[in-house]
Amino acid sequence: MGQFKCIEFRASDNEYLHKDFHGVLCYAIKYLDDNFGHEATTEYLKQVGLAIYKDLIQNIKIQGLAAIEKHIIDVFAIEGGEFETIHVPGKLTVIVKACPAIAHLKQRGLFYTERFCEATKVVNHSICQTADYKCSCSYEPGAGCCVQEFWK
Amino acid sequence: MISCTEFIPAYNELFVFLENKADKQAVVTFWESLSDKFLYNLREIVKAKGVAGCFEYWSRTLAEEAADCKITLDENADEFTIEMKHCPSKGRLISDRHVKPYHSYCEHCDILYRRVLETLGLEYSIDLSNCGNAQCRLVARNSIRPKV
Repeated sequence: MGQFKCIEFRASDNEYLHKDFHGVLCYAIKYLDDNFGHEATTEYLKQVGLAIYKDLIQNIKIQGLAAIEKHIIDVFAIEGGEFETIHVPGKLTVIVKACPAIAHLKQRGLFYTERFCEATKVVNHSICQTADYKCSCSYEPGAGCCVQEFWK
Repeated sequence: MISCTEFIPAYNELFVFLENKADKQAVVTFWESLSDKFLYNLREIVKAKGVAGCFEYWSRTLAEEAADCKITLDENADEFTIEMKHCPSKGRLISDRHVKPYHSYCEHCDILYRRVLETLGLEYSIDLSNCGNAQCRLVARNSIRPKV
C-alpha cells in the first residue's frame, strides 16, 4: 500500500524568499548575451530598471540618496549577506562584502555567469539616470563583493 | 542586486522584451532552453524518485514562493498534483500597478515542466483555464507503473 501525502500551503505560513530566482536571472543574462548580444542584455536590464522600480525612482526624486540607502538596507535585510553603507552629504557608498545572491548560487551549485553583476550595474544606472542621479558599480566577477557609489 | 523578491516582474519583462525583439517563438525558445539547461535539479530528483521527486521538489519551491496551494502525492496511483489556489508569481503581476502581465505568462510553467517530466516518461497535464485568477492545476502521473 503506497503512501498518500498532502501539504496545504498558505501564503501567510511562509516567507516569500525563493533565492533560486537569482539563478534564473543568471541564465537569462547568459541567454541574451549568447543569442542577442551584450547590447541586448543591457537594453533588457535598463527596461527592468524603468519598469519595476518606478516607486524607488519617485522616492529618490523626493528623498535623494536616503531613498537608495533605505532600499539597499531593505533588500539586504530580506536576503542576508554582509554590507556597509557610508552616507556623507552628496554621496552614498555601499560596500558589499558578501553578496547573498552569489553566495546562494554557489552554495546550491546553480547556474552562474560572470556577467551576473551587470544586473546590479545596469539596473542601478537606469534607476539613477531617470531620477537624475549618477552611480558606479565596480566588481570582480564571482567574488561576491562590489562597491556601489551614488551621487547627484 | 535585484532581490529575488523583485524577480518576477523582471522575468515578466524578459518575455515582453524577447517578444518585442523578435516574436513569441523567441519567448518559447527561451523557456525551452531554460527548461533544458536550468531545471537539472528537478530532472535529477524525478529521475531518482519518480512522482515522489515531484512532491519533494515542489514542497520546497512552493514554500519558498509562499504559494497558496495544495500538493498531493498518491503513491497508489503514482500521481502528483498541484492545485494552485493563488499563484504567487501571477498574483504578484496582477496586483502590481506598474506591471502588465505578459499575455502568455503562465505558459512558461507548462513548457518548463512538461519538457522535464514528459522526457522522463511521466504523463503531464496542466489546466491554465483559470490562470487569469492566478489559479491552475498540474498533474504528473507515471502511467507505466500499473495502478493499484
